[in-house]
Amino acid sequence: MPAQDLSEPQTTAKKPAKGWLAPGHQNQRKAARLAVIASLIWPFQAWLVAFALGGLLTGETVSAAFVAVGFIALGLLRAVLGYMSEKHGEKAAIKVIRAARAQIVGREAKRAEACDFCGAGSIAALAGEKLDLLAPFIIRYAPARARVMVVPLVILALAVWQSWAVAVIFVISGPLIPVFMALVGMAAKEASRDQMAEVGTLNDLLVERLSALVDIRLLGAQDAVLSGFETQAQGLRQRTMAVLRVAFLSSTVLELFAAIGVAMIAVYVGFSLLGALEFGAWGGAVTPQAGIFLLLLAPEFYQPLRDLAAAWHDKAAADAVLEELSAWDRTDTQSLMGLGGPSARLDGPASVELHGVALHGGITLNDFDIRAGETVALMGASGTGKTSTLRAIAGLVQPVSGKIMVAGHPLNSETADPWRARIGWMPQAPHFLSASLRYNLTLGDGGDPTDALKQAAVMDVVTGLPHGLHTRLGETGGGLSGGEARRVTLARAIYSKPDIILADEPTADLDAQTAAAVTEGLLAQAAKGVTLIVATHDAALAAKMDRIITIGGAQ
Amino acid sequence: MTALWTIFKLILRAQPAALWRGAVLGFVVLVMGAALLGLSGWFITAAAAAGLAGVGAVFDVFRPSAMVRFLALGRAAARYGERILTHDATLRALEVLRMRLLAGLMVAPYPRMVRIRGAQALNRLTADVDALDGVSLRLVLPVIAGLVTQILAFVMLWWLVSLPIALWIFAGYVMGALVIGWKATHKTARLSRRAEAAGQAFRARLIDMIHARRDLAVHGHLTVQADDVDDADTRRLALQLQQEQFGRVSGAAFSILGTVVAGGTLWIGIAMVQAGAIAPAFAALGFFAALALAETVAPLRRAASDYGRMAEAARRVARDVATPLPETGVAKETTGALQINAVSLTRPQSDALIFNDLSLNIQMGETVALTGKSGAGKSTLLLAIAGLHPVAQGQIKIGDLRVTDMDEASLRNHVTLLPQRSVLMRGTVREALCLVAPDCDDAALWRVLETVQLRVLLDQREGLDTMVGTQGDALSGGEARRLTLARALLRRPDLLLLDEPTEGLDEKTGRAVLQGIRGTLPNAAILIAAHRDIETQFADRTFALQ
Repeated sequence: MPAQDLSEPQTTAKKPAKGWLAPGHQNQRKAARLAVIASLIWPFQAWLVAFALGGLLTGETVSAAFVAVGFIALGLLRAVLGYMSEKHGEKAAIKVIRAARAQIVGREAKRAEACDFCGAGSIAALAGEKLDLLAPFIIRYAPARARVMVVPLVILALAVWQSWAVAVIFVISGPLIPVFMALVGMAAKEASRDQMAEVGTLNDLLVERLSALVDIRLLGAQDAVLSGFETQAQGLRQRTMAVLRVAFLSSTVLELFAAIGVAMIAVYVGFSLLGALEFGAWGGAVTPQAGIFLLLLAPEFYQPLRDLAAAWHDKAAADAVLEELSAWDRTDTQSLMGLGGPSARLDGPASVELHGVALHGGITLNDFDIRAGETVALMGASGTGKTSTLRAIAGLVQPVSGKIMVAGHPLNSETADPWRARIGWMPQAPHFLSASLRYNLTLGDGGDPTDALKQAAVMDVVTGLPHGLHTRLGETGGGLSGGEARRVTLARAIYSKPDIILADEPTADLDAQTAAAVTEGLLAQAAKGVTLIVATHDAALAAKMDRIITIGGAQ
Repeated sequence: MTALWTIFKLILRAQPAALWRGAVLGFVVLVMGAALLGLSGWFITAAAAAGLAGVGAVFDVFRPSAMVRFLALGRAAARYGERILTHDATLRALEVLRMRLLAGLMVAPYPRMVRIRGAQALNRLTADVDALDGVSLRLVLPVIAGLVTQILAFVMLWWLVSLPIALWIFAGYVMGALVIGWKATHKTARLSRRAEAAGQAFRARLIDMIHARRDLAVHGHLTVQADDVDDADTRRLALQLQQEQFGRVSGAAFSILGTVVAGGTLWIGIAMVQAGAIAPAFAALGFFAALALAETVAPLRRAASDYGRMAEAARRVARDVATPLPETGVAKETTGALQINAVSLTRPQSDALIFNDLSLNIQMGETVALTGKSGAGKSTLLLAIAGLHPVAQGQIKIGDLRVTDMDEASLRNHVTLLPQRSVLMRGTVREALCLVAPDCDDAALWRVLETVQLRVLLDQREGLDTMVGTQGDALSGGEARRLTLARALLRRPDLLLLDEPTEGLDEKTGRAVLQGIRGTLPNAAILIAAHRDIETQFADRTFALQ
């Protein structure tokens, strides 16, 4: 990830849809060139066959070995060139997808909050399977387009050389295909876009339902959820079929165009060979060799156009993905202050001051001044901004106005990471990473969490888990009781040896005895000189603090 | 391979008629294609021979050219029909499969259920099931259609042209496809498994990063997490590149196979014409048919490169589908109070006792507060009553029925448990509530919202259309708690089990909410795992867990 600081309002230029494809351009050009050369080998093979079969008719000596070996050798060359072309195409695809993915990950790591359509399911779908949809387009479209520019013209020239009548058939039937394709392309694009949107919605819906399985079961809502999902899934299938129907119809029509073209040429060549038609070739009727040659070339005249048509649908899917990428790129949310990366600790006493801080959404925070080593309870009715205050102190939101001073420094993108290196954080609803409990506690720094677990009075719980510290918990701590999960969160906060602890409802799930233990744990930290700020409803906890600040009475 | 076959049978069972019709049409397409090209080659060459011999005037041009037109049009039409039929049938069958997987997840044992991670389960339901469309569309049906076509072509070419040419084409394509197919499938499965693992890691880490970005930021771990996401992606792409390499090699091999078979046919044909065994027109027929029959192996190219992904997806899905869904038993009606007789419970998946020999009766209309320190087993007891935790000894009865004997639906009709961590889903308040009240009457919804003290608050926002946000993000902790309470109340159970219901609520609101609950369900037996004084004070009596 680039180490630039994007925490200031986003100034990076938003990419136009095509910009996403730039990393693969070089490989794409090579792939196209190789594909064209590979296609141009067929006329030589066709000529060999025509020479042989025609020769058999006219009684010329034909070497079976020479013809067959030549035909196979040319075919080998074509296969090798095709292989190389694909290789470059795949490289291009991987470069493009990788760059786009890195950008999504980098940008999502900067957001302070989820944007409207940035649910975890949507983003995972966009960065995962939707980006993968760019690959068929990148691999197939550019080579197909390059072949359309070259191969039909070459075959047309060869036809003109042998027979002007055949060339006329090509000239008339060929251009019909692009015209038709343009019409189909529009329909395909719209259908793809609908389908794409439906995929995202369905994924988001599923992720949420899957995270709520227990609730759904306890509420006896399985049938309601299943039938809701069925409706959505049917919608998706219908949209997918709409996309496919356009694709199949267009390729059928193209096949018909091609078949009619080939049939006309076959009929002309047949009659001409029978001697029934005396025009069309330079100097009378076509020779058997020329007839067979033209017949073998005719399908190849239409083939690049048909391939392009097939790739057109990959293009429609890719365009829909690119549009979604651009829509994602335009979503602006607040950014975190700083990078959220590891950092040396900020110097100065662990104090916090808020002066006239206002946040997005019209929340005004109380002014206050908390000295190092002080213990403070933030109290107030639900929804008055206790959690927002803690987030603001941790630099997780950018205030609209006002000033936050931490450890004697203004809190900004430079000081945020060093400041956070000193914070122990106890969120209200912890999210456990998909990793072992040990990793969740130490975040992979290789340290020993035992001490912190003991201080949080949760060591015996951890030893009692089926796999101890290697246990993998559910996202919200499934496998532990609420109180246990809460104490594990406390252990995580203590583990980094903070000198300020921000705790959001630390005793919320706990019985009186455990709540007292957690309170003791927190106060033990305070006794070591750690500044303690708790947002709480718990009067018993608040009473143990030096001071209570009532939130919500802000001017 | 077994898994792939299992999946194909499931798909076939869901849509047998359409798939068989599609398979027949697929065969028709291939046969018409081979006949079209073979006939054209023969026609041109025979016409040339007739012209050279000066007998062009008596050569029947009309029947062959009518055949050419018929085959060309028929082939295009058959292909359209085949594609629509097989795709629609496959998508429908996969939809059934997806529903089956989701239904399986919904009745998973509780310990597994709480550890299910949305991201991974989602992958099974979306990416894996999507990968399975190839099983019917690109593997089984094309192989059957291709093989049958090859056999028919062998017979026709033997009859029309000669045995050597027929044999060469048949043996060349079938043996070649077998060798290439075996090589391709042999190595890609393992690669695909690793790529899938990397893909899963990427998805899980990305979702973790998005869900936990604030926590990670404070811990200075956000950039590390982002790098981990990137690492997983790098690994996945590297493996994907290797897989594609195999796909490319088999693609080139199939292309070479077609060339070699056609070239060989040409050789044999020329030699036979020169030996006077067949007419040039029939050598042309053989050669053109050989070219056209390349189409019988063309779909295998995609199948070969997708094989690993399909086989792995099939393995995982087949495993999940193998677990049968529990039978829906006959609904059993019961009324009456809760009786807990000499019950012992153990920790999840272990023999360690939490408590022993516990007995407790609760009458209809009675409220009991369950107290005890964290880990004493309050929540586990509630889970056991709700049928989600095994009862080691003793019995839990509602009226005269044991909860372990009740089927899922009637158990849920009688008992509602509000767990500590109740999750809300993105949507409006109305949608959250209508999940349990399908008739979804606004007045009823407002009544229950009043009960949990949300009416005034929601009135100030957008009423029932207020957005709840992903995982209830748009609400404060206390608001979310009250909304989940409202949801539980709408079930109107006889026995209501509440695990710390007033968590996150201030005292005044908490008391009002508890009063409201009793007011809404005057006759229900209510058992509260209590940790706050307001909860124990509200109860008729307290039962302490040791």
